[in-house]
Amino acid sequence: MQNVGTLQLTFMRSRFVLLALSILFFHLLPLETAPRAWAPPDLLMCFAFAWSVRRPEYVPALLLGAVFLLADLMLQRPPGLWAALMVIACQRLKVRAHRLRTATFMAEMTRVAALVAAVGLLNHLALSLFLVETTRFGLSMMQIFLTILVYPAVVLVTHSLLRVQKIAPGDLDGPGVRP
Amino acid sequence: MARDRSNPADYAGPLGRLITAVVVLLLIAVFLLWRIDSPRVERFRAQVIDRVVPRFDWAMAPITGTVNLIRDFRSYQRIAEQNAELRRELRKMQAWKEAAVQLEQENARLLDLNNVRLDPRLTVISGVVLADSGSPFRQSVLLNVGARDGLIDGWATMDGIGLVGRISGVARNTARVILLTDASSRIPATIQPSGQRAIIAGDNSANPPIDFLENPDLVRAGDRIFSSGDGDVFPAGLLIGEVVKDPGGRLRVRLAADYERLEFLRVLRHYGNAPVDDSAQIIAPLGPRPLRQNGGGAN
Repeated sequence: MQNVGTLQLTFMRSRFVLLALSILFFHLLPLETAPRAWAPPDLLMCFAFAWSVRRPEYVPALLLGAVFLLADLMLQRPPGLWAALMVIACQRLKVRAHRLRTATFMAEMTRVAALVAAVGLLNHLALSLFLVETTRFGLSMMQIFLTILVYPAVVLVTHSLLRVQKIAPGDLDGPGVRP
Repeated sequence: MARDRSNPADYAGPLGRLITAVVVLLLIAVFLLWRIDSPRVERFRAQVIDRVVPRFDWAMAPITGTVNLIRDFRSYQRIAEQNAELRRELRKMQAWKEAAVQLEQENARLLDLNNVRLDPRLTVISGVVLADSGSPFRQSVLLNVGARDGLIDGWATMDGIGLVGRISGVARNTARVILLTDASSRIPATIQPSGQRAIIAGDNSANPPIDFLENPDLVRAGDRIFSSGDGDVFPAGLLIGEVVKDPGGRLRVRLAADYERLEFLRVLRHYGNAPVDDSAQIIAPLGPRPLRQNGGGAN
């Protein structure tokens, strides 16, 4: 019983890492080398939030920190800042996870939208406080907006394709068993 | 109930909170370290990318190829009008070709008369673009040539026609090229035929603005922009693009290089630039010791 739980946990955690790596992979494809007037949504952020709400134990803080630090390094962001904000945001979401579990999707959506906006704005604020060169504010705003827009789709994928679902009352002996 | 099961979890308990705090503090420490000692952390970043990205390469090449193929296929749909356009251009070009051949012959004669030899040290290394910056906020590409091939920070990079950017960050197998469109790119340039000096300052848009122009009245749309070689950073005379005016009346550069499709880039070997390895020397006047000895000591 214990073993099955541990195995399941490691499996799902490595699945999250694989998911993150493949998102990074598609980001890095050299398809768009000319500057764009728009910014695509941050899918990695969406998935991290969606997993944090559904199964907090699949995305522990250490794993999130490592994945987002790698993303920072690969995507030429100032290393550490975005990762730190994301870890804080995900932990805040996890603390409320049990309340969101029984709530409607709208409640979750509002919560996540607020967090996406907070992370985006705090990131911009911190960068300007530390006098790091930032690009146009509009571009970050667009990214925040699009990220919120695609969140329902990401949740759908997480729920149906990746089979990361909220714990239902009958699931005690199922995959939800903790080591 | 669900609530009872989630409370003793490792993310909400004191241990979980401790781990979270440690992780967040570590990440913030990394950020502060980067802010204080950026070159070292950037070198670390280059090494991480050097390890990770070449491993993706086997999958990246076919996917990039397929997407480009589909894009090319889509452009076939407009083939008739393109053909007509090309015919028109061809007629124009034939006249130019005649002029070019005559000029080439004249040039060859003159070079022969003067016994001119081109600088043999100004040779190129060709590299393939492995990856882009992956983010809409930064404009850079990763090349598959690096310190192994003798690349040095600061060398100029061109596609077939125009300047693309400069090398910034060299790992063993890969090197990063900061494109002219990146917000941190500043390139000294000369505008011909007026000979005005200016700085091409990237701002994350497709046409970077021209900064620090002494007399904008002398510059007209359509003038050609070359690198000036000021500050010994770049070899002089590399084509950057031509001047265009944006709707706001600001002068910008239409880049000569094809930024839509950067596949193969040439890195110019350029040993003329003075390596910046001792920042104190730049501000303070040089002492009685000769420059050469100083440089040797610093290395």
